[in-house]
Amino acid sequence: MAENRIRVDARGIACPGPITELVKAYRNAKNGDIIEVMATDPGFKPDVEAWIKRTGNQLLEFREEGGTYVAVIKVTAKK
Amino acid sequence: MKRRVVIIGGGSGGAILANNLPLEDFEVTVVDRSPYHYYWPWLLYVAFRGSRRPMKREIRSLLKPGVNFIQSGAQSVDLNNRKVVLENGKTLDYDYLVVATGSRPTYGLIGGHEKAVEKYGDYHSTIENAERVWKTVNSLKQGTFAIVVGGDPYRCPPSPLEGVFLAEEFFRSRGLRDRVKVVFAVPYPRPYPAEPMNEVVEPLLKERGVEYITFFTLDRIEEDRKVAVSMEGEELKYDALVVVPPHVGTDMKISPEDVLTTDRFIQADKFTNNIKGFDDAFVIGDASAVPVAKTGVTAHLQAGVVARRLQGEDARNNGRTNCPFDLGYGLGTFVISDYNNPVVKLPPSRFSHLAKIAFAAAYWDMVRYPELWNPIFEAYFEATEPAKLSKIYV
Ligand SMILES: Cc1cc2nc3c(=O)[nH]c(=O)nc-3n(C[C@H](O)[C@H](O)[C@H](O)COP(=O)(O)OP(=O)(O)OC[C@H]3O[C@@H](n4cnc5c(N)ncnc54)[C@H](O)[C@@H]3O)c2cc1C
Repeated sequence: MAENRIRVDARGIACPGPITELVKAYRNAKNGDIIEVMATDPGFKPDVEAWIKRTGNQLLEFREEGGTYVAVIKVTAKK
Repeated sequence: MKRRVVIIGGGSGGAILANNLPLEDFEVTVVDRSPYHYYWPWLLYVAFRGSRRPMKREIRSLLKPGVNFIQSGAQSVDLNNRKVVLENGKTLDYDYLVVATGSRPTYGLIGGHEKAVEKYGDYHSTIENAERVWKTVNSLKQGTFAIVVGGDPYRCPPSPLEGVFLAEEFFRSRGLRDRVKVVFAVPYPRPYPAEPMNEVVEPLLKERGVEYITFFTLDRIEEDRKVAVSMEGEELKYDALVVVPPHVGTDMKISPEDVLTTDRFIQADKFTNNIKGFDDAFVIGDASAVPVAKTGVTAHLQAGVVARRLQGEDARNNGRTNCPFDLGYGLGTFVISDYNNPVVKLPPSRFSHLAKIAFAAAYWDMVRYPELWNPIFEAYFEATEPAKLSKIYV
């Protein structure tokens, strides 16, 4: 089965924060799906890292491209 | 020739916009499925204080004489052909369209949600559900009272925590605080999503002994076992549970469909509120997908910008928020930010609480007589610009 890639564009969003956009996508995702979130809010990195640590999903990649942060997450921890 | 403006939705955004347009230049028609306009913030006081103060008024009575009102749902909107089809069978043509249909709670995303609302109520949907919460808190004599944020977005970012603070105060005032545990669970990293405001409220939660759980993405509610279960299988045990329901956008058919996001909010320019790709159609308030908080104040400010744009001015939104935040015990704060400035760390005060209550008292008058209130608001918003406040409250 081809992996399902969900793209979330949370650039320019400050409050309540790109993390809530990630959570929204996570709700609709299945184990095995990849969620790719783009954000410009500098608080995004620590928030994503904490989210990964707490939920047990996988952070495949975190990169910065010209002021945009991109987190690539594999959904693995859903029960 | 007067230009025809059709406004779908006669809530905070739609009614204020209608009353701001000069009727010598515009023929204004407001369409709403409900005969009533609701002052939603009051659900909080129905739920946690048992308030019986009326919180709805007839839309017709709030609109200026000369503004047309049609009580009917709008079924579909054809942006390319400038047509709105109503549930009563009529079709309306327009020169300008403004969608102001708000947002609505949805109960299908979380297993067992509907049953939980029937049993315990919530304070984001209807007066009856808020009255159920009042019954719930009154009948709980011991155990765990939980408020869980079910998902984003929802009306009014501070509202989940306002419920928590008011519930805590309620149980304490009844002498039950040592027997009733108050628990708050959210899917994000901290009790309040924006960091500076969180620095104001998190210490209050601690001080008042409210437990909180972060990163709790609610998956289902198992009422027979009385547990709320997260997507990772974590369980929160409760005796009574109030869930803040995730909201979705409009139920109207819209063509072209690609102006809608997956959860049916309408995409628009964040400065002008023009619906993506259309210079004769706008969306204001909760119905829009622009990155601002879903609050009445936002809807109000956007209504002002669109009113001025329709009159040929180059007015633009600055993304200003101004959400009053009830912290219980007669204290309050405000969530103030704009597109260029993050949320201000505004400390709790009695004044902020009084301002929230005063605003509620003046609300109907503000909707009905914008010409009297606009200058007051302008002065207020200028005095409380986040760039200025953030220099004072760091
Ligand atoms: C508990 C709580 C506390 C809140 N506290 C605050 C606060 O302190 N300050 C603040 O600013 N905001 C607060 N809010 C948020 C505020 O109430 C909303 O953001 C505001 O009402 C949004 O205005 P609107 O015009 O976009 O939508 P609404 O006021 O919801 O109006 C939408 C209207 O559209 C109509 N409609 C919908 N679909 C159709 C259709 N297809 N056809 C015809 N008509 C339709 C509806 O009947 C309704 O009348 C709070 C909300 C809640 C629930």
